Amino acid sequence: MTLRIVVRTFSEICVTVGTLIVLLVVYVLYWTGIRADSAMDDQMDTLTKRWATEDKDPGSTQNAAAEAGPPEALHDDRSYEGGKPFAVMYIPRFGADWRRPVLQGTGVGTLKKGLGHYAGTAALGGEGNFAVAGHRRTYGDPFKDFPRLRSGDVVVVNDGRAWYTYKISSRPYKTLPDDTGVLKPLPKPLDPGAAPYDRPGRYLTLTTCEPEWGSSHRLITWAHLDEVKAASEGKPAVLGGAGG
Amino acid sequence: MYGWIWRHLPGNAFVRAIISLALVLGVVYLLFQYIFPWAEPLLPFNNVTVDEGMGAATGGVPR
Repeated sequence: MTLRIVVRTFSEICVTVGTLIVLLVVYVLYWTGIRADSAMDDQMDTLTKRWATEDKDPGSTQNAAAEAGPPEALHDDRSYEGGKPFAVMYIPRFGADWRRPVLQGTGVGTLKKGLGHYAGTAALGGEGNFAVAGHRRTYGDPFKDFPRLRSGDVVVVNDGRAWYTYKISSRPYKTLPDDTGVLKPLPKPLDPGAAPYDRPGRYLTLTTCEPEWGSSHRLITWAHLDEVKAASEGKPAVLGGAGG
Repeated sequence: MYGWIWRHLPGNAFVRAIISLALVLGVVYLLFQYIFPWAEPLLPFNNVTVDEGMGAATGGVPR
């Protein structure tokens, strides 16, 4: 009789643990994606609304600066509020309708809502290195196709004032998680042969995890600023815009 | 365990089934709303940033 109870309880525990594992997989694979989609939509709405109000104020210095041509020090990092969206990124290689909000900071909570701009790296379009991190898997899989990026692919970022088109310089570079040199204003990875540039400029760095479901390494890609257009000129041609 | 719960639920079999379903849904809600969000950062898919060696040229990169 006692043995029966022991066996029964053991089986019940096994069934319970199995169910928990299945539920956790469902949560990680599907539920985080659903949550991330709605969070990203919220961030996009926030941006659209904010930009709409900014447009009604054409006399603002920021608009004037953007229309004056390529920004020198148009805005510095401090103008981005932590955890808040400030731009939208487009990467045609990931799909014609691939777009994600870019938020300030790379906290766990921030990265659930979109891509995260490393605090302390250059501002968008600025001299130095504008570095952005994103999930490869879970939370909407934003950087799922990261290894498909190739030299010459474009990364377009719109901050409501201007379209910044960056051109990727090389295939993704696999490195170790503590290789912070990749974020330097002049990127300086652990492997000197992977260094993409030899002089200061306006760069963009994207980081995500490698392997896809692991965390032992990171994948990095670099791009240089190729073109800046005022937001009023419409989407760049690479995104199927009219201008170009 | 499950037999014990079943025996302690009130009502006939139909009422017990309804209550059991509600309990299961409640547990799933608690898991998805509170427990999995807490456990998820412990899994490895969240580490997408280069960090450590803080403060190189970047002035300290948050996680």
